[in-house]
Amino acid sequence: MNFLRFLRPPTIADLRSILKIGPTAWGIAICLLVAAAGAPFVATYPLTILIYLLVFAALAYSMNFITGLTGYVSFGHVVFMGLGAYGWGTVVGTLHWSPLGSVVIGGAVGLLLALGLGIVTLRFRGVYFAIASLVTALAAVNIVLATPALGGGQGIILNLGFEPLSWFYAVWVILAIEVGMTYWVTHGRIGYGLRAIKGDEDAAKTLGIDVTRLKLFVFSLSGLFAGAVGAVNAWTVSGVFPEAAFALLFSLLMLAMVIVGGSGTLLGPLVGAVVVYIPHTYFLTVASGAEFIVIGGLVTFIALVIPEGIVGSLRRYVPILQGILE
Amino acid sequence: MTMALVAEGIHKDFGGVRALRGVSLSLTEGEIVGLIGPNGSGKSTLLNVISGVEKPTAGTVTLDGRRIDGKPSHRIVGWGVAKTHQIPKPFPGMTSGENVTVAALFGSLRRTDLRQASEEATRVLRLVGLEAKAGTLASNLTVQDRKRLELARVIATGARILLLDEVFAGLSAGELREAIELFARIQKELRVGALVVEHVMRAVLTLSHRVVVIEEGRKIAEGTPQEVVRDPAVIEAYLGTEAARAAA
Repeated sequence: MNFLRFLRPPTIADLRSILKIGPTAWGIAICLLVAAAGAPFVATYPLTILIYLLVFAALAYSMNFITGLTGYVSFGHVVFMGLGAYGWGTVVGTLHWSPLGSVVIGGAVGLLLALGLGIVTLRFRGVYFAIASLVTALAAVNIVLATPALGGGQGIILNLGFEPLSWFYAVWVILAIEVGMTYWVTHGRIGYGLRAIKGDEDAAKTLGIDVTRLKLFVFSLSGLFAGAVGAVNAWTVSGVFPEAAFALLFSLLMLAMVIVGGSGTLLGPLVGAVVVYIPHTYFLTVASGAEFIVIGGLVTFIALVIPEGIVGSLRRYVPILQGILE
Repeated sequence: MTMALVAEGIHKDFGGVRALRGVSLSLTEGEIVGLIGPNGSGKSTLLNVISGVEKPTAGTVTLDGRRIDGKPSHRIVGWGVAKTHQIPKPFPGMTSGENVTVAALFGSLRRTDLRQASEEATRVLRLVGLEAKAGTLASNLTVQDRKRLELARVIATGARILLLDEVFAGLSAGELREAIELFARIQKELRVGALVVEHVMRAVLTLSHRVVVIEEGRKIAEGTPQEVVRDPAVIEAYLGTEAARAAA
């Protein structure tokens, strides 16, 4: 029961070690706290923008667990969002659970799905894993469309109130947990194991790393958070609609955010979310469709010129930032 | 207690190719056994079977009487048997120090404390003479240093039996002498056992207490280095029938 150690009351040393999380983690924590404190005073329109920015960031961190930390490209990641949303919609619609509490169901669906899928698909490497995950997402839409209990092509329409603050705090909590988990995973023994897997999976095995279990662990985390975010996202539109819930666009945006920000880093997904979200939202109102050209161009540029993403490249080329950015 | 590794009647088929056809060998902690044979004779396959990278088609591998054949390699490492890679496989984005730290964290020592593991890594890097490169990215190391890193990593797992797949290949004459001395010193200090697969005869003959020769997946000779080099079957395998007749 070693892993339950953290349940004991914190000591002074623990509190001191919390202070030593480093400037990047501090920076993110302060930003999150400021956002949480300021949210009630923000007007509705900017608040919705902020909510979707956090949804994007939470999706980016979810993708970062698997793609950023292990290098496995989860092309069909939207499947966790989509089925998480359906799980949430079902308990809210038929069992009349509270929309907020049911977000946990969305997360649970994502977690179980990732566990089940991961056991099979994480055996594939490189492009084969990406294809397997893409096929899963495509299959999931068709299974949902053919399931009358899930509303078929119409989806699940709920009549929930307009509660931007609840949406905000729900996604805020998910994001905060994700950042904390990312920090915990990257700063410990597991972080070394994951970097080894990303570097050379065969060598990792022959040095004693149970690569299957470690990959499955981060994939499950990834599914858990994507499922929960899918639930909140569905809550903001008061329903779950098959074409939107499984839109491959989300997979692509998640990948874009991780690549642009800096895969495997602590700050990267947040930076990527901001950088991808701005053109995504701006062009949606000005020239719908142009956002894809801009984001696509950005991803191509980054992948070609600075493959380590914004955060990774800043670390590499700006020596002062090396000890600060992670 | 001294650890003993025993492989018995190992067969390994790859489709129609019979890479190993009943090879047996044993090795105890503290002992260096050389494994030699012409190209394609099955040396690396045998190491892969012992280390759990491949499952044998038939035969058993036991460690202190416990069956380890067919077990996943990460568990075999946990029991104290670790293998280097013929072509070094460093984790490119990590420094040498971090590469070795991984081994200390996940090997049979299972250090859970990061500081302890990195201290262990520093100690092992010093042992193999790589301490000056501890902060260098593994992708920037020279071939010679990559081989040292491979060695450092298996040592840092805490393995009592090392399986070394051509760690002396591709080195210049000077580097080779240095590497042989280094390994002899390390082995003396740690008292580990080692199964050394090698093409470089000088390395095998200098280091090994015992040499096993395989050809086409079968063991053709076993004995001290002096006995083995005089064995007609070995001379035939390496140089052909004519040479064997001339030697006899």
